[in-house]
Amino acid sequence: MKRKNGYPVLVAAALCAASLGIIVVSVASGPRVLNPFSMDIETCRMLLAIRLPRTAVALLMGGALGASGAILQGIFRNPLADPYILGISSGASLAASFGLLFGISLFTLSVPILAFIGAIATGAAVVALGHDRKGLQPERLLLAGVGVGFFLSAVLMLVMTMSVDDGLKRAILWMSGDLSMVDWELVPVGLLFILAGLVIALARRKGLNALTLGDDIAHSLGFSPTKERYILFVAASLMTAAAVSMGGVVGFVGLVVPHVVRRHVGSDASVVLPLSVVAGGTLLCLADAIGRTVAAPLELPAGVIAALIGSPYFIYLLGQKRA
Amino acid sequence: MTTLEFADVSFSYSPKKFVEQMSFTVAEGELVGLMGPNGAGKSTVLKLAAGLLSPRKGSVLVGKQAIGSYSGKERAKLVAYLPQILDLHAPFRVGELVRMGEYPQDGTQALSVEEALHIVGLHEKTDTHLAELSGGERRRAYIAMTLVQGAKVLLLDEPMASLDIRYQFDLYRLLKDIVREKGVSVFMSSHDIGMGAMLDRLILVKGGVVIAQGDPDTVLTEDTVQDAYDLNESVGTYMATNRTICRAFAVAGA
Repeated sequence: MKRKNGYPVLVAAALCAASLGIIVVSVASGPRVLNPFSMDIETCRMLLAIRLPRTAVALLMGGALGASGAILQGIFRNPLADPYILGISSGASLAASFGLLFGISLFTLSVPILAFIGAIATGAAVVALGHDRKGLQPERLLLAGVGVGFFLSAVLMLVMTMSVDDGLKRAILWMSGDLSMVDWELVPVGLLFILAGLVIALARRKGLNALTLGDDIAHSLGFSPTKERYILFVAASLMTAAAVSMGGVVGFVGLVVPHVVRRHVGSDASVVLPLSVVAGGTLLCLADAIGRTVAAPLELPAGVIAALIGSPYFIYLLGQKRA
Repeated sequence: MTTLEFADVSFSYSPKKFVEQMSFTVAEGELVGLMGPNGAGKSTVLKLAAGLLSPRKGSVLVGKQAIGSYSGKERAKLVAYLPQILDLHAPFRVGELVRMGEYPQDGTQALSVEEALHIVGLHEKTDTHLAELSGGERRRAYIAMTLVQGAKVLLLDEPMASLDIRYQFDLYRLLKDIVREKGVSVFMSSHDIGMGAMLDRLILVKGGVVIAQGDPDTVLTEDTVQDAYDLNESVGTYMATNRTICRAFAVAGA
C-alpha cells in the first residue's frame, strides 16, 4: 500500500486525540455521571479516590499489555504471542497472589516484584519447553504457553479455594481482570515498572526489528540474537508484571492491539511500541468506562468489553485486502 | 587482495564431523561458488564464514583477522549473510527492510537506501510489503539491505533455489554488477552446474572436505562431478547443455 510519509504521524495524532477524549469520558462516566462544571466536595473525593485511579490503571494496564504483546510477537516471531497466551500473565498473577495470601506483602514493591519474578520464571519455562533440537518452534512455544498457563491458573484456583485470607478477594479479582477494586496504591510502582520496560524496549527497537527477520539476519546485522531476546523479554516481563499487579489478568489487548497498530502504520518497532501503548491504554480505558456504565450498578469486566469492542474491528481488518 | 580465508578449518556438531581441514580463499571483487551434494557441508561453511558458528580447529579470517574477534557492528560492516529461506511473512515494507542496513553504521554508510534500491531495481517498490514481492524481488530487497550495510563479503546460501530461470539470471547479473562496480566479494552455494560454470571460481566440497577448487572449467569436469555426486551415469551432455544455456543467457543479458 502506498502511503505518504506523514501517515503514521496522522494516525498517532488521531489516536492521541481519541485517547484524551476517552480519558475525559472515562473519568466522568459511571453509575453516577460527574459534571465537571459543578463539583462539590463529595464529587471531588469520588473523582480522586475512585474514578481517577481507575482510569489511570486502565490506561497503564492497557498500554503495558499492548507494548508487551508487540515485543513478544517480535522476539518469538509469532503473531499469536502475548503475555496471556504464553502464560506469563498467569505466572505473574500466581506469584503475586502467593505474596498476598502468605503475607509476603511487607512493602509496596513486593507485589510487583513477585509478579515480575513469576513472569520471568514462567516465560523461561515456556521458552525452554518451546525449544526442540532445532531451536525455538513457534507452535511448540504456543502449546507450552497454553499448557503452563492453564496449570498455573489451576494452582492459583486451588490455593484460593483452600485459603480464607484477606488477600483472597484481591487474588480472585486478579484472576478475572476486574478493575472495580483498584486504588492509587500500586500506581506509582506500576508506572515505574512500565516506564522502565518501555525505555528498555525503545532503546532496543532496532534489535527488535532485526529479530523479526530471524536470528541469522539479526546476527548478520551485527546483533546478538540471544542477548537482544533476553533484554526485550525482561522489558516485556516488567510491563506484564506491572499490569497484573495493578489490575490482574486481562487477555486480548496484548494479542490484538499490536496487530491493529501494524495494519495502520507498518511494523517498525520505533512506531509500533509507543502506538501500542497509546492504543492499548485507550482501548482498555474505553472498555472499562463502558463496562461500569452500560449495566450499572452491575459491573462488566473491562477485558470482556475490550474483546467485544476489539474483536469485530480486528476481524474487519483481517478481511481487508492488504494492498 | 584476500577478503575471506578458511585456514585449515574443522567443525563438528559432535560426534559427526561436518567440515574437515578446509582451506580456501575468496578475493576482493570475486564471485565464488560453493558446490557439492546435499549434506556436503555447504551451509555449515557459509555459517562459519558469517561467524554464526565457531570453528573447532583452524581459523576463519576476514581481512586478516579472525571473524570471531570483531564486535557485532564491525563484523556487520565486513560480512553479510542471507539464509536460503527468507521469511515470506516478514512484516515490513521494502524501504523499511533496506533501511535496517543502516543499523551497524553510525551515519557514515557509503550507500544510501535510495541508491541501493536503484541498484537492485526496486526503487519503485519502496512502499510495497515484502509479502507482495516475487521470490526473486524479495531476495533483491535483502541484497539491497546488505549493500547499505556496507558489507565487503556477501554470503548467500543457495540464492538461486526456487527462482525461475528469468529471476536466476536477473540475480546473476545483479551479483556480477555488485562484484564489478562495488568491489564486493560474493560467496554463494549453488546446485546449478550451469550457473556454477559462469562464476569466477568454484570450490567443490563433499563430506565436509574440499575435493576441487579453481576455475569452473577445471573444477567441473565429468570426473569430478561424478565423484562429488556419486554418479555412475555419464553427465557430459547434461553439463554441456546447461553451460550452453547459461552462457547464452549471460551474453544476451550482458
